Amino acid sequence: MIRRSLIASLLACSLVSSAGATGFDCSRPYSLALHEHGLLYTVATDTGIDKDVADELIRRSGCKVVVSVMPRARIWQLIESGALDFSLSGITNPERERFASFAWYFSNKYYLLVRKDSGVNTHGDFERNARLQLGVIRSFRYSESANRLVDRLHQAGRVSQAGGLEPLYQTLMLNHIQGMIIEPFDYPALDEKKIREVSSIIEFNDPPVLHGLIMSKTALAPGEQEKWRALLSEMRSDGTIRRIFEKYFKPEMAASMVNFQGVR
Amino acid sequence: MTFRRSFRMSRLSHLLPWIILVVTLSVTWLLWRHECDTSRKEMQAQFDFALRDTVSRVEQRVAAHEQMLRGLQGLFATTGLKNRAAFRDYVETLQLDANFSGVQIVGVVDLVPGNQKKAHEEVMRGLGVGAYAIHPEGERELYTPIIQREPQVGRNRLPPGLDTWAEPARRLAMESARDSGRAAITAKVRLAVDKKPEAQPGFIMYLPVYAYGQPRDTVAQRRSHLIGWIYAAFYIEDFMASLYGTSLPGVALDIYDGVEPTAGALMYSVGEYSAQDGHEGLHANEYMVVAGRTWTLSLRSLREFDVRYGRDVASLIAATGFGLSLSLALLSWFMVTGRARALRLAAGMTEELRHMAQHDPLTGLPNRALFSDRLGNELARAKRNDGHFGLIFIDLDRFKPINDNFGHATGDLLLRQVAQRMKETVRASDTVGRIGGDEFVVLMPMLADAEAARLLAEKLRHAIAQPFMLEGRELSVSCSLGVALYPNDGTDEITLAKSADEAMYQAKQSGRDRVRLAS
Repeated sequence: MIRRSLIASLLACSLVSSAGATGFDCSRPYSLALHEHGLLYTVATDTGIDKDVADELIRRSGCKVVVSVMPRARIWQLIESGALDFSLSGITNPERERFASFAWYFSNKYYLLVRKDSGVNTHGDFERNARLQLGVIRSFRYSESANRLVDRLHQAGRVSQAGGLEPLYQTLMLNHIQGMIIEPFDYPALDEKKIREVSSIIEFNDPPVLHGLIMSKTALAPGEQEKWRALLSEMRSDGTIRRIFEKYFKPEMAASMVNFQGVR
Repeated sequence: MTFRRSFRMSRLSHLLPWIILVVTLSVTWLLWRHECDTSRKEMQAQFDFALRDTVSRVEQRVAAHEQMLRGLQGLFATTGLKNRAAFRDYVETLQLDANFSGVQIVGVVDLVPGNQKKAHEEVMRGLGVGAYAIHPEGERELYTPIIQREPQVGRNRLPPGLDTWAEPARRLAMESARDSGRAAITAKVRLAVDKKPEAQPGFIMYLPVYAYGQPRDTVAQRRSHLIGWIYAAFYIEDFMASLYGTSLPGVALDIYDGVEPTAGALMYSVGEYSAQDGHEGLHANEYMVVAGRTWTLSLRSLREFDVRYGRDVASLIAATGFGLSLSLALLSWFMVTGRARALRLAAGMTEELRHMAQHDPLTGLPNRALFSDRLGNELARAKRNDGHFGLIFIDLDRFKPINDNFGHATGDLLLRQVAQRMKETVRASDTVGRIGGDEFVVLMPMLADAEAARLLAEKLRHAIAQPFMLEGRELSVSCSLGVALYPNDGTDEITLAKSADEAMYQAKQSGRDRVRLAS
């Protein structure tokens, strides 16, 4: 009996070592999807925070990961079905918890970006003026009070949806929408000055919201998820994540985004 | 205490129907509003679904076409752009697949530096493309000629060599594809194969082809290792027709290139929407991003949508609720006021019966019973106060011949007019009564003396002596009056009546049409 269990544990050890130095099971290629979104990822230059994080994850895991670009709404569908393994910069809610697991690596607040000529100074101003239209990206969720605002405006038929940030900025400039909800990495490098000239920012009084690696629960076993979570945790603790953010933000801003407490 | 409580109760019970009306109408209003809200939300949800579904179907279709081009990309990455037969076979296979029926043409674009134009043309001719030449002509730094179009059938039969680099929309998409390494589509363009007088809206999807085995991790690497493009050209009409699934009925869909819904940017339109028909439907714009290009999907609900997905329960609730509220309030009013109304009715009927019992039905004058009652009262009062009063007996002279000659109806009419005239002649405090056929009595309370009584009687005789107009006929009648006075002619009802009767008899005896005092 003792001998048999000893053989079994030896066998188990040898299998782990054969999976590679990182402890990853790379027996199959993984899939990861990026979505074009401000500083997170820009197709034209094939660069962004998400791209950098993905590259580093792939490098450290030693696994083959096929990276594609698709709309965020499609990403969530595929994560739910299990056809896609990973995506980045996702936030959770009870519905997503059912099918996705997360590994947090930064947090940030949400802001309402409004046209200066709309006469809006508070979130309430925006909601009260029935002529104002809000632009959102399909399938995006935000902080608590931002979600409430979006849901109420949606019920009132005052929300225009878009497949990405770019058309929202364009329609904001054309005054077809008067507001949109943004995150720190949403200012596109291009036209930034023009957008700042016509708009102002109102902060939501919500705590910062955690963002992380999205893992499909259907595609990845709990043990596997833990390994990826550990890998990301390592990237946080050795300063890799902070360095990536410092490429795109001033050091204080980067620090405020990557230093957060109380994560599982 | 009890009175106050019952008073409060009665006020409350009178308010009850109103309270019920207000409450039931409020409930109706709440239900109606809830139903309107639910119905609106349901419509909105259906509409949202239609929009989401359309976006998703377009996205899937674009992704499928990109996938198809990726197949070609793989082919060319290993064999080079000029493997003409392989390309032809590939497209031929696609043509068999109805899924790709939206694709008008699939083509290959070569990247030719300015100094290699001649060599390129020669190579192409060497591959069997006779008379191949890059066009439009002219010296340029870079050429991007289309070296092969498939399938080569019908309207697609165009000479190869067309260089589209100078055309802004195509160039932008080609550059975008080159730099990103991903599929990029053009703005709305007129396809080169479109020879119709009026341009059909189309777009082209480009995918870059890089030199095999070369790194392409940065924009710079991708630019330096680009060898050409493959593309698929679409008429948007055919592209939309090839979408999976069926579109939701009752909606009008417009697709615009870019974020501005202008006539020039309109690519596709389905569903007859007219701003003039006054239909306030749902409307939403969605800015979808397809292979790096923004399309504005403008969706409107039409009347058919309302009919199909709207629930017309709200008006039913309003009508039914209103009707029920009124009925309930009315019912409670009947119940609350039922007793009061019954009592009022009974009192009215009693009063009517009492009147009938005390009055002569023909003339409406007090009858013998009521008159006797009043006489009794006057007697008691006169006795108590040592007062005087008079009693007149009046009998019409020769009334019977009138009845006989003109009929009872005329007789009755005359009696009624006589009664009316007597009532008008006496004082307000006097009582005129009818005690039989043509016999009347008058009670005159509080008289000073016999002369006052005689004067009043004379006044009556004179009034009756005036001619009457009966159904256009003039009739005259006289009367004989006997006057008795209390206490001179009697101190009780019987004696007084007897005295007055005797006086009246004497008046008759002495030639009628006169007044006689009893004493």
